[in-house]
Order: sequence, then C-alpha cells, then structure tokens
Amino acid sequence: MSREEQLRKRAKELLAGKEVVMVLGYRAGRRPGTATPAFITRPEDADSLVFDDRCGANLAAYLPRVKHLGKIAVVAKGCDSRSIVTLLKEKQLDRNQLVILGVGCDGVKEQGRLSDSCATCAYPNPVVCDEMVGDKVAERESAADPLAEFEKLAPEERWQALAEEVSRCIRCYACRQVCPNCYCPTCFVDAGSPQWVGKTTAGSDNMMFHLMRAMHMAGRCVECGACSRGCPMGIDLMKFNRKVAKTVKDRFGAVAGLNPDEPPALAAFDPNDKQEFIR
Amino acid sequence: MPEAAATNPAAGVFEPKIVAFLCNWCSYAGADLAGISRIQYPPSIRVIRVPCSGRVDPFFILKALQSGADGVLVSGCHPGDCHYLTGNYVARRRFAVLNDLLEFAGIDPGRVSFSWVSAAEGERFAEVVRDVTEKVRQLGPNRKLLKEEVA
Repeated sequence: MSREEQLRKRAKELLAGKEVVMVLGYRAGRRPGTATPAFITRPEDADSLVFDDRCGANLAAYLPRVKHLGKIAVVAKGCDSRSIVTLLKEKQLDRNQLVILGVGCDGVKEQGRLSDSCATCAYPNPVVCDEMVGDKVAERESAADPLAEFEKLAPEERWQALAEEVSRCIRCYACRQVCPNCYCPTCFVDAGSPQWVGKTTAGSDNMMFHLMRAMHMAGRCVECGACSRGCPMGIDLMKFNRKVAKTVKDRFGAVAGLNPDEPPALAAFDPNDKQEFIR
Repeated sequence: MPEAAATNPAAGVFEPKIVAFLCNWCSYAGADLAGISRIQYPPSIRVIRVPCSGRVDPFFILKALQSGADGVLVSGCHPGDCHYLTGNYVARRRFAVLNDLLEFAGIDPGRVSFSWVSAAEGERFAEVVRDVTEKVRQLGPNRKLLKEEVA
C-alpha cells in the first residue's frame, strides 16, 4: 500500500470511528502541481487526500482556527510538527485534542524546484506524532549557514539589499496568514488605536513591519518557509526569520519547536545570558 | 517631533535627539540623582518613564527612530535587582535579539544603546548619557528608519 493509500485509510478509520471530527491534510489544488489544505469531515471524502512534494502549506497554521470543532487529526511533516510544538508551548492547542499523523518529507517543490527552506531543513521527520504514515526519511546532513554570504557584506550593503527587498512589499499580509505563529486575534499591524505600524508601503513603514514581524518570530519560527512561498512579491522573508533563529540559537542555545516542555526562548531567561551589548 | 535635527549654532555641532526609556525603580531614580547632585550631562535625552525595562517593546525603540529620534537609550535595573524580580532578565533576551537584528539590517548598533543604571548611580547615569550622546553625534542624524513627514 502506498503512503497516500495508507493516509486515506487511516483518515477514513478515524472519521468513521468518530475518533476525530476532522482530518486536516492536503488535496490537489486547482492548478496542476499544487496542493491545498483539505478539511475532511466525512469518511467518503478521505479519498481526496494527497501527500507529496506539492504539499508546502504549514497545516499547523489552521489548527487554532478549527480547534473549537473538537478533536482534529492533522497530517504533519517535520516543520508542521515543530510548529505544533510551538503552539503547544504557547498553550494554543491541547495535545489531547490532536491526532498527529506524521509523514517524512523530502522537501516541497515551489514552481518545480526545491523550496529554499527545504534545502536547509534539518528536521525532515516529525518531532512529535501519534503514528507515522509511511516510513521516516533519511536525516540530512546539517547544511551550511545560508546567511553566511549575506552577513559578510558591509552594513551599508546589507541595509540597501534589505531595503530593496522590502520595498516590493504590498502589505497584503499573506506571510502572516500562512504562518502558524500568527494567531493573535488582533495583529499589531491591524491595531488602530494606537496605530502601531503605518499602513503605507512608502517610507520606512515596510521596514518597520518586516523588522517587527521578525522580532515576533524569535524563538518561535521553525523556518518552514511558508511565508516566503506565500509571498506574491517574492520577498525573501526567510532571511529575517533565519537571522532571529540564529541569534536565539547562538545566544540562548534554543531551537524552536523541538521540546514541548521547554518554555519559549523569549519567555524564559538564564541569569548568565550574554550581555556584551549592554553597558 | 516637527523641527529638523537641531544644531548648536554656537559650536556648529550636531545635537542629537535621544529618546531614553528609563525604568521607574532604578534608572529613572538614577537620572533624578544625577539631577539633584547637579551632575552635568548633555541635554540630548528625552526621558520616557516606564514601569520596568521589561515594559519596553522593541517596537517602542523602532518607533522612536521612525518618528525622528537620532538615538535610543534603554536603561533598567542591574540584573538581579529588578523590582519585579525577573523583568530585566526577560527584557535582556528581547534586546539581544533586537540588537543583533538591527546590526544584521545594517542599522548602526550605536543608534540603540542599552544600559543598567541603579538608583544610586547618578554619576554613572550622566556618564552613560555623555557616552551615548557622543556615539550618536558621531553617527550623525538618523536617516535609515526615519519616516519623512508628508506635507
């Protein structure tokens, strides 16, 4: 039985046995070569489930929006499972109300080529799951630091490069919509009283948005790359995410989404944290 | 802040505007002590009193730069001395991430300074302000995050 068949079979069993009210997975998208999140509630619909290298969306993003329905089964790649861990840490999900169907992932494709975030992925297998569907995939060698080149540039060049990158932003907030970390009922960009971020795409408003979005990802982002893939303007959002993840790892020795028992890195502290930048 | 970056006409030197977020329990009292002890320091800072350095959202810092500040100083109690016990420890992690992110984005780290000043350190407070002012003066007016006012 192929992995896809196994997945459909398990989904049917879970729904027919009333163990879960919904199976959250992927189905084929309208355009060829794409897949889209599937919210399956009837056993007979389970045959539309797919899983392959088209399945780039981070399904953890949908869990806070459907959790009120009851117990949910969710298909989770390595990155999805780490995002689930982040949400569990932040008390956004109840572990007992989840059935995590783990799948190994060889990376997702974006317009025919391997997504950038997958090229450097260190966790292709789920870090938590109730059952594996199909086999685990081979662990990967840790990739070279994707920021190394950029960080060698002079500060002025880095500013120019990033300013140019974010100048394309049309502030559609697609990056926020696809992100499992962005579950705030009122996002700081939508708050009107006081208005935190200017709504324009001119001046420094875009940079403010992108810097603050990055700050909010610190210690939480699992670098799934959904934001970069979701961006209609092709902005390299992962560059910001990677930087904060790297800082958190280097300074605090923490990697997001691995251990549900550890508090989020920025909600914790160590009295011996380095403070060379403070006088 | 409507008026343009002020210059001291007498000396012709750039006088930076610095927004200082001072915690109520230590640094604000430290600034007060500097005042009542008549210790001289540059009149470059605009003090905003916050309950704790943990109250300082990184957004406050960026917003100050966007709104026309040339520099930002954040100061709180020394580690271990926080009135709320751990506020400054948690804040320290946030500041570390912000510090590294700004450096990454090519914004000079000298624009945003962090310090610990206790209520007994009036002289130290004055020294910090002298230092930070000099650093920002060297960097010149802030242009990178500044949002130009639309007339």
